[in-house]
Amino acid sequence: MTTDGLALATRGLQKRYGSRPALAGLDLSVPTGVVYGFLGPNGAGKTTTMRLLTGLIHPDAGSIEVLGRPFGRRDRHRLFEVGALIESPSFYPYLNGRENLRALAATGAPVSGARIEELLELVGLRDRAKDKVQTYSLGMKQRLGIAAALLSDPRLLLLDEPANGLDPAGIVAMRETLRHLASTGKTVFVSSHVLGEVQQLADVIGIIAAGRLVREGPIGELLHGEGEVRVRVAADQVEPARTILGGLATPDAVSDGADGDGWLAVRIGAGRAADVNRALAGAGIFASGLESGSDLESLFLELTQGDGSGGHEGTFFGVAGGSR
Amino acid sequence: MRIFVASLRKLVRRPASFVILGILIGLLSLILIAVAATASQPDAPPGQRAGLLLVTFPGAYTSILSFILGLGGLFAVIYGAAIAGSEWSWGTLKSAVARGESRSRYQLLSFAAIALMIGVGVLIAFGAGIVVAVIGANIAGVSTDGLSDAETLGTIPELLGRGWLATVEVGALGFAIATLARSQLAGIGAGIAFFFGEQFATIFLSDVVKYMPFNAANAVVATPGEGGFSDGGGGPVISSLEPNEALVVVVAWLVGSLLVATLFTERAEISG
Ligand SMILES: Nc1ncnc2c1ncn2[C@@H]1O[C@H](COP(=O)(O)OP(=O)(O)OP(=O)(O)O)[C@@H](O)[C@H]1O
Ligand SMILES: [Mg+2]
Repeated sequence: MTTDGLALATRGLQKRYGSRPALAGLDLSVPTGVVYGFLGPNGAGKTTTMRLLTGLIHPDAGSIEVLGRPFGRRDRHRLFEVGALIESPSFYPYLNGRENLRALAATGAPVSGARIEELLELVGLRDRAKDKVQTYSLGMKQRLGIAAALLSDPRLLLLDEPANGLDPAGIVAMRETLRHLASTGKTVFVSSHVLGEVQQLADVIGIIAAGRLVREGPIGELLHGEGEVRVRVAADQVEPARTILGGLATPDAVSDGADGDGWLAVRIGAGRAADVNRALAGAGIFASGLESGSDLESLFLELTQGDGSGGHEGTFFGVAGGSR
Repeated sequence: MRIFVASLRKLVRRPASFVILGILIGLLSLILIAVAATASQPDAPPGQRAGLLLVTFPGAYTSILSFILGLGGLFAVIYGAAIAGSEWSWGTLKSAVARGESRSRYQLLSFAAIALMIGVGVLIAFGAGIVVAVIGANIAGVSTDGLSDAETLGTIPELLGRGWLATVEVGALGFAIATLARSQLAGIGAGIAFFFGEQFATIFLSDVVKYMPFNAANAVVATPGEGGFSDGGGGPVISSLEPNEALVVVVAWLVGSLLVATLFTERAEISG
């Protein structure tokens, strides 16, 4: 596999904690200059991947390339061009926001004092920069964590659930910041559980489950190719409609929609809603409702539920994925 | 150097630095004043009157210092453990490592800042102790002529230097323990347990225990013929190392502790 033009690549990455596997051969390919949405259920291995990418832990097998060059135990200097926020932001509670950034700036790549002020402004903490971090709200700590990740103006930014605790304005501001970074050629690798947010933010997504990649690619292509179309027909026409839809896709791609009586869902490219409608009409069945559900949430649930390789994924509170 | 300065700045801002120094000076003052006040009562029994030696210069210089180092040992192990442990508990070491910082350099320079803070703390406590002892001497009506005893004053810099090294050594012990424990609380707890465990073991195993960190630290500053506050933790002193022998042992513990802390950090999987 070639890794040219990639800001980040992993090949066959494996990691266990004790006897529990966290990554089972992960292959990621993150192109340069994009926002990459890194998705997966709880326990899928997202944070573990981030830890490996920042040298906090070391792989049992497999390789990592960061900014086009191999990244191993002896390559900590490569991280001078990487900024990261992993799991929860970490600060000295008794220091104020500015002092915390200064303390952090004393490590790794050199950072100017002006940069710190610029970042406090960017994340909207200028007025609170003199307050101790222990007096910050959850979202304020998160903002400071994002500022910390941006300290060295990194070419590659790794953010583990950065939207955690941010208010709506904070989320919009973060989205704009990350989009802006990508537009200047920087690469942003961001994990998130807020799929609506990822859908708006990311150019490329990778979905992992149980420590393996299950899908990766430009978000538009994935959603176009993997959507779902839902139709509502009269109760006595459900069975004929099911047959027709099964012929259009495959019989097992058709299921009862979760929205109630008369709804059928078919897993088919979302762009084919018109085909579905035409096929039904051709058989004299007129849909009283038609929706194309090509959102990230359906795709995510469909790909990550019950692949049963020992991870934490699967149904959660009894919610079945893929249909609704 | 950036890290050293930043670490120093962090320690200066850290409440623990002041709390520990404050408690040390408070206890020292309390004891000196109390001893001076009771010992100077006309009807005090001879045993209590001996307490006046604590505020009688020049001997008071060494008593104060041995008090500071005895209690300071406990405080230094707590201080070292608190600082090393919180780096793991708060995740701040993680942030530095993720920025590409060298783990060993970060740990060693953080400890260098602790060592400097301990030195400053010992000096401040010593100065405060002298002031309080002078006050105590006045309360007890003891002459303070010995304050300027040239012979004793000449030995003080070396004693302070040795005392600093000894305190730094137990600070390093706390630093190493908390690094292994990866936790502030566990590190402090284990450090305190080590301190009392060693004091306790002195009673039974003095031949071995004299090589242990706290006993060796005490022996570094022991002046012949003078029983300090801390010697033997109240128990009988059966044997202890010669001061210079103790110096070697202390340096060995210091280097060993830092080596353990650094190697462990270097190899640790930071997954908390
Ligand atoms: N420090 C650790 N010690 C032991 N096991 C761990 C540790 N960290 C993670 N794991 C395990 O590794 C697997 C992957 O965890 P990881 O934190 O990478 O998941 P994640 O994708 O970040 O999940 P989430 O969405 O909940 O943040 C899980 O099974 C988890 O229990
Ligand atoms: Mg996680």
